[in-house]
Amino acid sequence: MAAPMSRFAGCARQRDLRGRRIDLGGGLFRVVLLASLVASVGILAVLLVDVVNGGWSVLSTRLGDFLTGVLGSRPERSGVFQGIRGSLWIAIFTIVLAFPLGIGAALYLEEYAPRSRFARIVDVNIRNLAGVPSVVYGILGLAIFVKSLRGFTGGNTVMAAGITLAILVLPIVIITSAEAIRAVPASLREAGFGVGATRWEVIRHHVLPYAAPGILTGTVLALARALGEAAPLILVGATTGFLGGGPGSLVDLGQLTERFTALPIIITTWAGRPQEGFRALTAAAIVVLLVVVLVFNAAAILLRNRYEKKRR
Amino acid sequence: MKRLLLFALPAMLAACGGGGDQSGEEVFVSGSSTVEPIAIAVAEAFAEEAPDYVVNVDGPGTGDGFQLFCNGETDISNASRPIRDEEIAACEENGVEYIELKIAFDGLTILVNPANDTLECLTFGDLYALTGPESQGVDSWSDAEDAAHELGSTTDLPDLDLLVIGPGEESGTYDSFVELALLPVADDAEATRPDYQASADDNVIIQGIEGADGALGWVGFAFAEEAGDRVKEVAVDGGDGCVAPSAESIADGSYPLSRPLYLYVSAASAAEHPAVEAYVDYFLDDGISAVEDVGYVRLPDEQLADTRAAWQRR
Amino acid sequence: MTPLDVTTLHADLCGRTARQQREAVIRIALRACASLSILVSALIVLSLVREAWTFVSQVEWSALVEDGWFPRRGIYDIRTLLVGSLLVTAIAMVVAIPLGLGTAVFLAEYAPPLARRILKPALEVLAGIPSVVVGFFALTWISPEVVQRLRDGTPQSNVMAAAIGVGILTIPLVASISEDAMRAVPPSLREASYGMGARKLTTTVRVVIPAAVSGLVAAFIVAVSRAIGETMVVFIAAGATGGSLFTMDPFEPGQTMTAAMAAQAAGTDAVRGAALTFQSLFFVGLLLFLITLALNLMANRFVRRVRQQY
Repeated sequence: MAAPMSRFAGCARQRDLRGRRIDLGGGLFRVVLLASLVASVGILAVLLVDVVNGGWSVLSTRLGDFLTGVLGSRPERSGVFQGIRGSLWIAIFTIVLAFPLGIGAALYLEEYAPRSRFARIVDVNIRNLAGVPSVVYGILGLAIFVKSLRGFTGGNTVMAAGITLAILVLPIVIITSAEAIRAVPASLREAGFGVGATRWEVIRHHVLPYAAPGILTGTVLALARALGEAAPLILVGATTGFLGGGPGSLVDLGQLTERFTALPIIITTWAGRPQEGFRALTAAAIVVLLVVVLVFNAAAILLRNRYEKKRR
Repeated sequence: MKRLLLFALPAMLAACGGGGDQSGEEVFVSGSSTVEPIAIAVAEAFAEEAPDYVVNVDGPGTGDGFQLFCNGETDISNASRPIRDEEIAACEENGVEYIELKIAFDGLTILVNPANDTLECLTFGDLYALTGPESQGVDSWSDAEDAAHELGSTTDLPDLDLLVIGPGEESGTYDSFVELALLPVADDAEATRPDYQASADDNVIIQGIEGADGALGWVGFAFAEEAGDRVKEVAVDGGDGCVAPSAESIADGSYPLSRPLYLYVSAASAAEHPAVEAYVDYFLDDGISAVEDVGYVRLPDEQLADTRAAWQRR
Repeated sequence: MTPLDVTTLHADLCGRTARQQREAVIRIALRACASLSILVSALIVLSLVREAWTFVSQVEWSALVEDGWFPRRGIYDIRTLLVGSLLVTAIAMVVAIPLGLGTAVFLAEYAPPLARRILKPALEVLAGIPSVVVGFFALTWISPEVVQRLRDGTPQSNVMAAAIGVGILTIPLVASISEDAMRAVPPSLREASYGMGARKLTTTVRVVIPAAVSGLVAAFIVAVSRAIGETMVVFIAAGATGGSLFTMDPFEPGQTMTAAMAAQAAGTDAVRGAALTFQSLFFVGLLLFLITLALNLMANRFVRRVRQQY
């Protein structure tokens, strides 16, 4: 018996071969582990229940008004419409900016220059960007898109916020798309090249369709992340008091260069308001946000699991 | 298809043009978080009167508001204290002329726990000894009594553990407290003691005072009234005897911790943007009733007339 | 499918055609996309360094060690923020590491496949809960039900509640990375252990976990990085919005680097005498960026070590 194994041979084997009927230590360990799993899931369940409970009074009695109402001073008449609008714009910016740019970057890194020094630098760079706190992206948004590019974006506007958040989720899109593209079997590409297709043609007709579910998953996860972020919006100067103009239309190009608010900001603002009625209102707004974010997350994960199963 | 999107995006964005308010229909109001509820209430009512005009209100704080205002970024700055010299200089430097409009009164109510039943009145000396910058580390009322007596007070402070709770430094209410209560005693006082419990949420301050027998705190008058019997209001002696806070004593200035609330309107904005003019007109006319709705103290008639005259004269 | 005909084949063998040109343009466009990330990094560093440099060159160094973070008054004690961040992170790790690791070990080693197939996606979905939600939960539930029961007289806004909230946010992250690390341990190692007669507990604790230790360390570092970078939970639940005295007591309101930045911005630009309030925002941001950068580089090295081994 090799020396490194002797530590094992001593305690574990002897005890096991001696035949303990009841494995007390092991059983206890298993219970402890199960308890931690239950605690983890349990805490999150308590959170969900508490939030839904808190917002129930608002959601059950005036859901319609709540969804179409605007920011105001009185809790009974306030609503999240402007927040939904702002969040919608942010979603649009994420899709329009982060989606193509991120997939493009991933394609270049995986298809055109997979083992080059450039790819390695960019890869390290992206992994670092993925770990940068969202508040630092907020500073980037403040310095560049609110201040330097004020003429283009209009200052503290939804455009500045949208671009900032698109940049924030760009690393996520790139990393998940790159993984999906890497998973495409080489044989598929080889077959394409074998019949004389150019690299782009192989990508467009073979790689992308194959990797599409994985890429889609990544984009949906990125979208859910962008919708839940509040810190960058605070830095970019979302309005917290009152946004004039009534509800207005949901989406209108003119809103791009105007002051804005978004669901996470509304939640943060209302959480800090002293009046009692705002407590229930905040919980209701959280429910709205959670519904959107969790549905997106669940959709992305289910999609990924189904696609993994199909491929196997 | 992706490429199409990449090219369409700049075209789409270019179509909207840059810059904030192009048509004179938007009003940007910022500043004091104390005045913010009044501004929002007026804006809401104004939106029903003149739906074409868009009013945006924010409340980052009086000082922060002036920074934006003197930079030309807002049309109206709400303030819970008069504009300071540095801020006047900054406005002059950037060519921002303004019209100062007093619109309401607010009082700072000193609150203690109802269990603190011997205490009825505090002098400025007491307040300085309990909450001033030199009182850092003092954690019992009686410990502060010597310092208070040195400053001329004769109050017997109770023998309770002291817990000071109040608004945070970003708030105008904090500024006002320092200016109205601490500055008269020591004219270099810039802040309260740093080791107090700060909260931006008046509700939390009330709860904190409710929860500790020896608590001492200050909130705006409206909020103290709303809190009712959960806390006990203390009269303040500013040198002319103990005066309890009430709508009348605040309005006529006999309560020493009363402060006026202001609107500073950019003269340029008022001249160029009809929305700004209309908003202020409405504010001083029907909108002024929002002051009491929100819970502050209405200006006496002569002072309101003065404010209206100042606006007309601009 | 690309139409394959004689013309195309001929064009390929002959060289430049529309196809080749299009190919070159696309290649350039995609390379530009990839370079964008470098541009973003450069912009972040640029925007931080520019104002931070103003701060560093103009600040009085005494202001940096005077007690308390009161940016609007010109008191920039960076220790207050650093200690605050450290305190929140430490408590958050005390919550997240045991629960996350325990969950991961259970899912990787003990859970039946059906349970795993339901629970792992459930955890991943819960990882998407926005931090504002946890912040509100920390303020309205954790603070009254947990923290104020632990110690009387705790104000509603305190560091402990916020830190527990941050820990809760981080649990799915720790669980996910640790579980991946443990699943990456080849079955042969486990088989060898069982073959020697070891029971499951021994195998898990003496074989699997040591083998996965690189991944576990990576999980820990990533969790710390996430906790340090967390803003909204502290902003909503820990109080101390305008300024904060230096404190190591988690049962008081407190301030971290991230929440200080948000609190600053929520009040927009500089104000009140001290001219460097706005720049202090960037100084703290730069510090934060460098710290999380260092942590992420460390974590990446551990992850790469895991990959190399197997």
